[in-house]
Amino acid sequence: MSADPTEYAIEVEGLVNAVGRGQVLHQNLNLKVRRDEVITLIGGSGSGKTQLLRVILGLKHPVAGSVRVFSVSWYDPSLKKVRDARRRMGTLFQNGALFSALTVFDNVAFPLRERGGVSEKKIRAIVHAKLAEVELAPHQGTLLPANLSGGMVKRVALARALALAPDLLILDEPTAGLDPDRSERFVQLIKRLRADHRFAVFMVTHDRDTLYALTDRVAVLGDRHIIACGTQEEVRKLPHPFVQSFFGGERGRALAQGEAAA
Amino acid sequence: MRRAVCSRAMIARDAELAVETVENDPVPTRIRASGEWTFAGLKTRREEILRTLDDLRRIPPSRVAWDLTPIADLDDIGALWLARALRGVGQLEASVQQREILDRVAQGSRVRIAMEHPIDPYAPVVAIGEAALHFGAHLRDATALLGRVVLEAGALARRPRDTPLRELSASVYRAGVAALPVTMLVGFLVGIVLTYLSALQLKRYGADLLVINIVGVGVVRELGPMLASIIAAGRSGSAMTAQLGVMRVTEEIEALQVMGVSIITRLVLPKVIALAIALPLVAFCTDLAALAGALLVSRFTLGIPPQAFLEALPRAVEPVNFWIGIGKSGAFGFAVAFVACHYGLKVLPNTDSLAAGVTRSVVASITCVIILDAIFAIVLRNVG
Repeated sequence: MSADPTEYAIEVEGLVNAVGRGQVLHQNLNLKVRRDEVITLIGGSGSGKTQLLRVILGLKHPVAGSVRVFSVSWYDPSLKKVRDARRRMGTLFQNGALFSALTVFDNVAFPLRERGGVSEKKIRAIVHAKLAEVELAPHQGTLLPANLSGGMVKRVALARALALAPDLLILDEPTAGLDPDRSERFVQLIKRLRADHRFAVFMVTHDRDTLYALTDRVAVLGDRHIIACGTQEEVRKLPHPFVQSFFGGERGRALAQGEAAA
Repeated sequence: MRRAVCSRAMIARDAELAVETVENDPVPTRIRASGEWTFAGLKTRREEILRTLDDLRRIPPSRVAWDLTPIADLDDIGALWLARALRGVGQLEASVQQREILDRVAQGSRVRIAMEHPIDPYAPVVAIGEAALHFGAHLRDATALLGRVVLEAGALARRPRDTPLRELSASVYRAGVAALPVTMLVGFLVGIVLTYLSALQLKRYGADLLVINIVGVGVVRELGPMLASIIAAGRSGSAMTAQLGVMRVTEEIEALQVMGVSIITRLVLPKVIALAIALPLVAFCTDLAALAGALLVSRFTLGIPPQAFLEALPRAVEPVNFWIGIGKSGAFGFAVAFVACHYGLKVLPNTDSLAAGVTRSVVASITCVIILDAIFAIVLRNVG
């Protein structure tokens, strides 16, 4: 996949999004994710982070405005363009969303088989490489998702999201439901994979540890639009109550100081 | 020994109320509450305490003094009972913790929430209107789904390589081969019942041989396809709705969409095509089983030898009836799978919606089959 460095991974322009009976959730929302950065979306509960993610993933029709991923709108009449853009994007759902009827191996192989053009033998090699990358043993490939622990589900889902070597990885609460040790290792895993593959990351998280460890830029969702988008230092100065409570808590300050000292 | 300790610890000291009257005092009634004022502690002497509290209500509260300090344990239930009696009392002795619990409970019981759904005299009318709108929405969505199915089927016809053959063959097996035992058994039994009933009537007129006409045409043209599709609606239709519904609940549908995989091609088309292929075959086997039942009963109740039955059958039943039956089952199979998929995709990510979706799917697909059958009967009334 040729990557134009000036291309944006995600462009959201003038988005208006409503839920239920016309309750406006987002109004004139703009957001751009560059081709090579890690950007984190934060926002208070009920601010519509998940809904924004659904719109970006093309699972929900916005009322107005445009969402383009790699300059392609999900509603582009050319199905081929849409499919190609979809294949440049990997998604990690909060609960994994593994296909429960398929084994771990088949789950990771699914996007490869779906794309076609690769022999089964090569698919097997790629899948085992991906499983090794997320620290799963080859014999675990025969397990069904129901037999996996929460951390393993996330890692398998990550392997599946990375199966097509995407240029953009979308993470929905990547560390939710993992204990601190596991989530730390998961963050390290993503960091390492990113060093190897240079994909852009767009993630939604509540976890400040994840945020500090990974993010280049932070986008803050509040009052129905992106109220700030910049580096952590820039965003931290914002006098918005949510930002202050998010970064300003005891734990947040201690972490930030630790980061500065390191 | 151990057991004794255990049981002593388990026994709660019952809640008690002691009422005492002191003459010549501004607050003459003294009440001491003791024991465990908890759910367990109040259970045994519930009636007695309630009666005492009722009696106390006749005394003006300002002339009552309460002493709660002997209470060993106070929980929300106990506090709720006390809070009502304590309203406006003259004197109250209680520990800080007890006062906190009492305050909390009193606050909780003061919360009034306006009735969310006040009784509306027009409710039945509104319900009818809403039902009609719902029905309209279902019809609209089903039409949209049908359009998408046709479009994707057309696209698939242009690139046959993308046909999800594995899903297709798995669905044919599950809806067809696996359904044979139950469908054939039901067919066999219905064949027996139908022949027996007709035989009883026909015997009176001496028209014994006509049983072959009646049962033959009835089974091949109507009963075989109907039985097969009603059982398919219950067996395969519900399974299809549940599968799609669970995939919605576990976000697997979203995962497929995000990967750029068409839900229609991947999940709906294989099911619809598979049932349209499988049901005629199942109906054929049901026909055979029902006719076998008929053959058996005619042999034993009417004394028609099997050879005669088999010879008379092709003369009594024109082949076109058979083809109508097979064609109808194909249409029924399509309808059952289509309705099942429609309801499956409408399931919302919660268990209630899943249960309702499966129920509605089975009811709607059986209704749909019967409506289709009536249409076929009218359209093809002059054939065969």
